[in-house]
Amino acid sequence: MKKDYVFVKPGMTPKEIVKAVRSLRGVCLTSVGMRDAGQSDFKNRHRIYDLKTLAPYYNEMGLFSAECHGGARWHVGIMNRRENPFEEIEILRELMPNVLLQTLIRETNLWGYRPYPQNVIEYVVSKVDIDVWRCFSFLNDVRNMRSVAEVVMKRGRLFEPTISFTVANWATNEYYLGVVRDMIDLCGGTDEIILCIKDMAGVGDVNRIGNLVDAIKQAYPELIINYHRHITDGLAMPALLSAAKAGANIVDVQEDSLVRFYGHSPILSAQAYFEESGIPVHLNRYMAEVSVQKVREWIGDYEWAESPFKGLDHMVTFHKMPGGAFPSSFEQAEKGEFLHHMPAILRVMSLYNKVVKYFDVTPGSQITWVACSGIVNRYAKERGDAGVKHVTELLAKFVEQKNQDFGAMEKEEQEELLLLFRQAPGDFKNLLLGNYGRLPVGWPAEWVYKSAFGDEWDKKIKERKELSPLDSLGDDDLEKLRKGLAENIGREPAEEEFILYLMHPKDAKEFIVFREKYGEAPIVLPTDVWREGLKRAGDRVDFELWGKPYSIELVSIGAEHEGIVHVVMKVNNRTRVYAVETPRAKRTEIRMAKKPNEIGAPINGNVWRIGNPGRGAIKGGDIVHRGEEIANLEAMKMENAIIAPFDGQITEVCVKLNDTVQEGQLLFVIEKV
Amino acid sequence: MERKIGKILIANRGVPAVRVMHTCRDRKIPTTAVYSTPDRLAHHVFMADTAVHIGEAPPVESYLNMDKMVNAAVQSGSDAIHPGWGFLAENANFAQMVIDAGLRWIGPSPKVIKMMGDKIEAKRIAQKANVPTIPGISDVTDINQIKKWMKDEKITFPIMIKAAAGGGGKGMVKVENNDGLAQAFAQARSESKKSFGDETVLVEKYIERGRHIEVQIVADEHGNAIHLYERECTIQRRNQKIIEEAPSPSLTDSLRQEICFTAVRLMREIGYTTAGTVEFIFDSSTKKFYFLEVNTRLQVEHGITELITGLDIVGIMIDVAVGKKLPFKQSDIRPNRWALECRLNAEDPKSFSPSFGTITRLHVPDGPGVRVSSGVYEGADIPPYYDSLFMLLMTAGADREDAIRVMDRALGRTLRVEGIKTLAPLLLSIIRHSAFKSGDFSTRFIEEHMDELVSMFREKSSEDEVLKVARYVAEISALGPQKWM
Repeated sequence: MKKDYVFVKPGMTPKEIVKAVRSLRGVCLTSVGMRDAGQSDFKNRHRIYDLKTLAPYYNEMGLFSAECHGGARWHVGIMNRRENPFEEIEILRELMPNVLLQTLIRETNLWGYRPYPQNVIEYVVSKVDIDVWRCFSFLNDVRNMRSVAEVVMKRGRLFEPTISFTVANWATNEYYLGVVRDMIDLCGGTDEIILCIKDMAGVGDVNRIGNLVDAIKQAYPELIINYHRHITDGLAMPALLSAAKAGANIVDVQEDSLVRFYGHSPILSAQAYFEESGIPVHLNRYMAEVSVQKVREWIGDYEWAESPFKGLDHMVTFHKMPGGAFPSSFEQAEKGEFLHHMPAILRVMSLYNKVVKYFDVTPGSQITWVACSGIVNRYAKERGDAGVKHVTELLAKFVEQKNQDFGAMEKEEQEELLLLFRQAPGDFKNLLLGNYGRLPVGWPAEWVYKSAFGDEWDKKIKERKELSPLDSLGDDDLEKLRKGLAENIGREPAEEEFILYLMHPKDAKEFIVFREKYGEAPIVLPTDVWREGLKRAGDRVDFELWGKPYSIELVSIGAEHEGIVHVVMKVNNRTRVYAVETPRAKRTEIRMAKKPNEIGAPINGNVWRIGNPGRGAIKGGDIVHRGEEIANLEAMKMENAIIAPFDGQITEVCVKLNDTVQEGQLLFVIEKV
Repeated sequence: MERKIGKILIANRGVPAVRVMHTCRDRKIPTTAVYSTPDRLAHHVFMADTAVHIGEAPPVESYLNMDKMVNAAVQSGSDAIHPGWGFLAENANFAQMVIDAGLRWIGPSPKVIKMMGDKIEAKRIAQKANVPTIPGISDVTDINQIKKWMKDEKITFPIMIKAAAGGGGKGMVKVENNDGLAQAFAQARSESKKSFGDETVLVEKYIERGRHIEVQIVADEHGNAIHLYERECTIQRRNQKIIEEAPSPSLTDSLRQEICFTAVRLMREIGYTTAGTVEFIFDSSTKKFYFLEVNTRLQVEHGITELITGLDIVGIMIDVAVGKKLPFKQSDIRPNRWALECRLNAEDPKSFSPSFGTITRLHVPDGPGVRVSSGVYEGADIPPYYDSLFMLLMTAGADREDAIRVMDRALGRTLRVEGIKTLAPLLLSIIRHSAFKSGDFSTRFIEEHMDELVSMFREKSSEDEVLKVARYVAEISALGPQKWM
């Protein structure tokens, strides 16, 4: 009989899941192949169309869980892949019913970048069908996890409180044990949770992690520990082994064929290395091999999304930029044409994180990135490369030579430091004011506040919040928000659309408009066609939609003429012609009536009279009286009088006799007299 | 005495022109189409055997231009003219011109058209024939006449101002109170002049929550006038019908007999020939009906009568025009279906603002119980100059519920029109509304229920969805990878 590797399944209680993991010999695996692998090295562009091809193998692989949701995948999904996280869950549930689906959630910041009000958190978390909720805080402020933990545990799903891990002189075992204690207090013991240690940048020394796991296990022998470790420093696999030897039960891996420089360890290599070292790995290795092979069928379609900064980078142990943020930062630097300043920015980051202490993971990593790249770019703009060198040296002197003794700096250096954060982003200032929660080892020094806020610094320090945003932020009016969205899209939103909107209002609206226009194109089209379309006559794409077969074949693409390209295609054997506007398409600008003194057309129609039979035609400069007919529109033989809304002077007649106008188009401008 | 017709010119465009041509094809009678400049590539032009350009876009230069119309007939070798509905269909002068030119006029005599076209005269004749009429005054030239009449006869608002020469809702304005009177009066006169070339108006008491019921009559030159039963046309917007059905769900059998024979009596009285309609307003609270007018032409909604009786009314008109006797008696007419018609207008379903442009996709309903009368094809343009009607959708079933069910399929699942806005979402909402289903409605149904009606949408189908995917593939194929990706 075939061995069944599946040992945990959706529908099991958290207690049953924890018990199943405890009873295993050795370690089991979480695959991040469907989320963090793509986020770390491919800008989160892996489409569900391709990822779902792995699902049948995951279903028999005997994984602890599949991380397939959350982090930035949600936001990038609606912005760039035009996929919504709800349909992804639905597809995966159907194809891998045996697998625990896992998300990564940022405590009060959920899947966004700012704290959400408590009622939004509770509403959203209660509507997302996920089994394992890995929840971290970039401040390790466990208070911020309360609402997510409560809703998840009440639903009978597994809550996985997560330590943000870094290496620093203040990040001691004692410090981390304090965080773990808070988590266990929050969750009422160790029997229904799993603890995750998240080394999001890949900076932990091999012995350091074994030492920490050992300390936690000594304090809480029954606690299940999952170790999540990026590979950027090149030392991931020994670190995984070190953690496992010290008693970690679950480690994160991904398909070997997905491994680049910022993601996780290869699943097959890890299995072999662990077994050779005497630690059994619970894995259907054959299924993992097939899955690794399957990836090779489509990974070539994502070369364009890979980071331009190639290779492992042990310097990450200084600048600490996390795997997930690496590619997007380089993307921004490339778009903003400051890629050549990246070494300086990374150096500034390594100094900055000694001044303002928190964990470089979302949204902290974004705050660090925007603040540091902002400083370097400002100096580059004002003083060129010399300026960049200057600011780097100034900070290095302050941090490394003077040990952050502000008084030990020269007068003019002090003055310069006091302006360093003046133009820092609003989120940096929010962080200093406690709007995200408490910083892990205390607030930054006074000079940082002076630098950020100028004369108002002491007032701002007094305003600084010591409470969690859960307790300081007022609730949103959900019904009002729902109505606002309904007005915006012209219909009642579906429940899922409303949740997307709560997370990212602007991008969700664009997403809804896109999907209304293009339907399920993001779900059903293969990646090459999704990205580049059909190229040559006869190129064809076959796909299934709602269980029925369809086919689109390119016949021809015409030459551009006046900004229009005609594309001829056979859609299910019927020839159709599509007029596609290029960016050069001419758009005839129609002026619409916007202000109270601008009179618009009430309907689409034909301007058959300007003025009225009594006085004849009306022209610019004429005085008209309230209630007087000033024009008449005809549509389908019905007349519609345009009436002056008040006594005034016509300053502009914006249409000509017999013009065809559309509803709302500007007809007259009137000034009150 | 029998005459012959060798070729028929249809003095119309769009849906009515195409409808008449279908019967001509059945009869193997060649046809001539006329067209204005923007209609050069219209459906009715392609459908005819020959086509004649008659002028520019404005109707007065083309479809209302009588000289050009008669010349086109002569020039194309046509020996008869069918006017369809609208445009010159109820113009007695035109009918006379056609006859004077030695052509067959497929319609009632100019004398009858003139007599019934004058609403005041028509009402007088109806009264003489003992047909109940609505209180009102005629030949109104200033608003003081209206005020005096209301005072003398103790008439209260609302009232209705109508073009004496009118029809089809044009030149008709409802007045709610004293303040709107002057503006409404001026508008009715001006519209009347524009649509019918005559600014004479009449004023009547407006029957609140009335139902609009009409009786289809066919008559020959030999003294035979019979009715083809009634139609109910109560669902209207801006006084224009948008949903009609036959038979009427408002009438009992005895009322039906009464209203139908009243109509026949009136038409006999005036010596009517060919197809025509007597319109009544029915006050459902008092069960009384009042004469409104006689339409001396083929009507838009004649198709549902054809569906319930199995007759071809256009065919009867052609037969009558050549002097044939009606081949049936009143007792032969036995309707055995329920039929429903929805008018597809190119309009915004919420604002009724007209919508022009090119029909980029057209999927026409089919399947059991469906009849479509279309004036367009996929790729056709809807020009801004004419009536917004571009397609009639009719369904039939053993009873009313059946007919509604088929209409729901036709509108919701099979009809697809893209490129222009249509009334389809509104029509679908109406036929799904419980008040409509139970037959509880008046001419104000739409204004009373508008809020509920605009919220319903058509059902999703994979056919629509795949076209959205195709639109995406076309754009990316033409433009390459996009920045937002």
